[in-house]
Amino acid sequence: MEVFFQTLVGGLGFGAVYALVAMGFSIVYRTMGLVNFAHGQVVMIGAYAASTFYMSARLPFFVAIPVAMLVTGMIGLVIERVLRPLENKDFDLMLIGTIGFGMVLEAVATIIWGATGHAVPSPVDTEPLDVFGIRIRTYSLVVLAIAALATVALVLFLQRTKRGAAMQAVAMDHEAATAVGIHVGRSNAVAFAIGAGLAALAGALVAPMLYVNPTLGGSLGIKGFAAAILGGFGNIQGAIVGGLAIGVLDSYLAGRFQAYSELVVFLVFTVVIMIKPTGLFGERTVNRA
Amino acid sequence: MHRSRTTMPVLVSAVLALAASTACSAPGSTSSSGGDTSGPLKIAVVNAQSGQLSSLGQWEWKGAKLAADEWNAKGGINGRQIELGLFDDQGDPTVGTNLARKISSEGFVAMIGTAESAVTVAMIPILQQSKIPNITSGQSPAIAAAKSPFAFYNGPTSDTYDETLAQYLVDRKGAKNIALISNNGSYGKGEKEAFTKALADRGITPVDDQVVTTDQKDFSAALTAVRQKAPDALFVGAEEVAAGLIVKQARELGITATIAGAAPMGTPVYLETAGAANAEGTVVSSPYLSNETDDASRAFAKAYQGAHGEEAELHGAKAYDGANIVFTALMNSNGATGQALADAIRATKYDGLLGNFEFDESGVGIHTTSIGVITAGRLVAESAG
Repeated sequence: MEVFFQTLVGGLGFGAVYALVAMGFSIVYRTMGLVNFAHGQVVMIGAYAASTFYMSARLPFFVAIPVAMLVTGMIGLVIERVLRPLENKDFDLMLIGTIGFGMVLEAVATIIWGATGHAVPSPVDTEPLDVFGIRIRTYSLVVLAIAALATVALVLFLQRTKRGAAMQAVAMDHEAATAVGIHVGRSNAVAFAIGAGLAALAGALVAPMLYVNPTLGGSLGIKGFAAAILGGFGNIQGAIVGGLAIGVLDSYLAGRFQAYSELVVFLVFTVVIMIKPTGLFGERTVNRA
Repeated sequence: MHRSRTTMPVLVSAVLALAASTACSAPGSTSSSGGDTSGPLKIAVVNAQSGQLSSLGQWEWKGAKLAADEWNAKGGINGRQIELGLFDDQGDPTVGTNLARKISSEGFVAMIGTAESAVTVAMIPILQQSKIPNITSGQSPAIAAAKSPFAFYNGPTSDTYDETLAQYLVDRKGAKNIALISNNGSYGKGEKEAFTKALADRGITPVDDQVVTTDQKDFSAALTAVRQKAPDALFVGAEEVAAGLIVKQARELGITATIAGAAPMGTPVYLETAGAANAEGTVVSSPYLSNETDDASRAFAKAYQGAHGEEAELHGAKAYDGANIVFTALMNSNGATGQALADAIRATKYDGLLGNFEFDESGVGIHTTSIGVITAGRLVAESAG
């Protein structure tokens, strides 16, 4: 029983981070129908930026995060601007473009921060809570709370604001949206910036739990991508469920299958996707391919 | 219309990529070949310069570079300068095998590296075929098991590290309940097998034996299982960053057992990743505990500091010893290559920073390590006796 709950707690902590990564994938996919393959690398840049502001510029950790989000938000805007001429013309090239951006970001990180990476001290220095023998890291609670806040903020933005409504409209029918005077390019740019900002949030939060180096984006990107697919690509709530599911699944299978856990996680994932190809909350809002 | 506009970037990037790849291969593909007996002696250094293991790779490079610079400053090897070629294996065995082919076709006479046992093991068959002696910083017994006459270790194997560790934990400190956690990479597997064997020799079966993956981030399940067994000591068989994460999470879960492991746990990367408070008291088995052991290590540490502006540590020292052994063998054999160079390395007796090297048939030159304990954020030698 103890192992069961302890594993659940550990899995949820990482699951919240995967959920944030998945949300970043989904918001871009939702509005543009595009999978941003540079997303994992934006997470990595976010982790580096936040930890640098925190450790070198000595900003408080929770100030460093929004600053890092601004930095990656700008990167998101740049990626969108470069890809914009291809919008609705060549979808494959846009995909290839995002892959290329990912490589560039990894190279840029190596140039700026070097290849070695660094460890980030935890910003929350209190002892883990002890609940009936289950140890809960206070920092994991912070991560879960911030992930929940980010989700609520995003959903409210999409449903309650004019800009959000415009993005939804573009997602449903970009030609009709253009006809009623919505600037599709700007809408896409906002989606990219939000996606990249979420990436920085995920990267910044995961930095004290892991070790920040230029290849950090690879594994987080894959887990986040899997989480997004599992939840139903483009579905924000689905991204949350998918992220937590992958985190918890990962954690349990690691205990059960030890050295083969990675393999089993993706095997389970494959089976779920074969049974329900659109993911758990599958809906296709866009298909511009 | 659109087609032509959109294919342009692809064409341009393809051309750029081609240009870049030819530019990269140009320096290595110059005319100097292996048969040359007057030009510089080309030695390859293969190590991760990117990825999670790049700290290791960079320490190794700095150690080897220091040795080569010192030899070159004194006039090289029998008048020939040493030319080091650095290759990034990214800690990836596949990249390693490609590099093995590359260095064998580009006239390198010997190879220093890699620090990654898995990469070394992958490269051995190609290096053996092309008769290029290789001195590795890997420590997995799998390297000796490949039985290549061209493969040498520049430090002890896991068997030695873990025998010393078991001696200390069991024979000296009386630990009986010992749990293991190791990853399934080449290094972790070697460590697990070596330590289990050292315990078995003492009639001890581990109370728990957890295996994690090299890519794993959350160790809750494994560590909770370990915690339930309440061990006196927890043996960690994983590389720097992974070991740091495991120990950090172990302490967060309330595991108070003495943490023990081999060389990776004596490094600053482990200390930073685990956090100084969590790493406190870690027992480390290592052939190089400090820069203050004797005159040789003090001189090395001073030169290293001067050349690279940072404190020397084990991996730099290992690569420095390894490079010096290869250079000494080249000098003694008057620039021999292939089998003759491998024989010369095997015959080299070298008093290095890690100890007195004397190679046996399996390519192992050193058979002792010492115990250090992380005390107040520094690795401190544990007094013998």
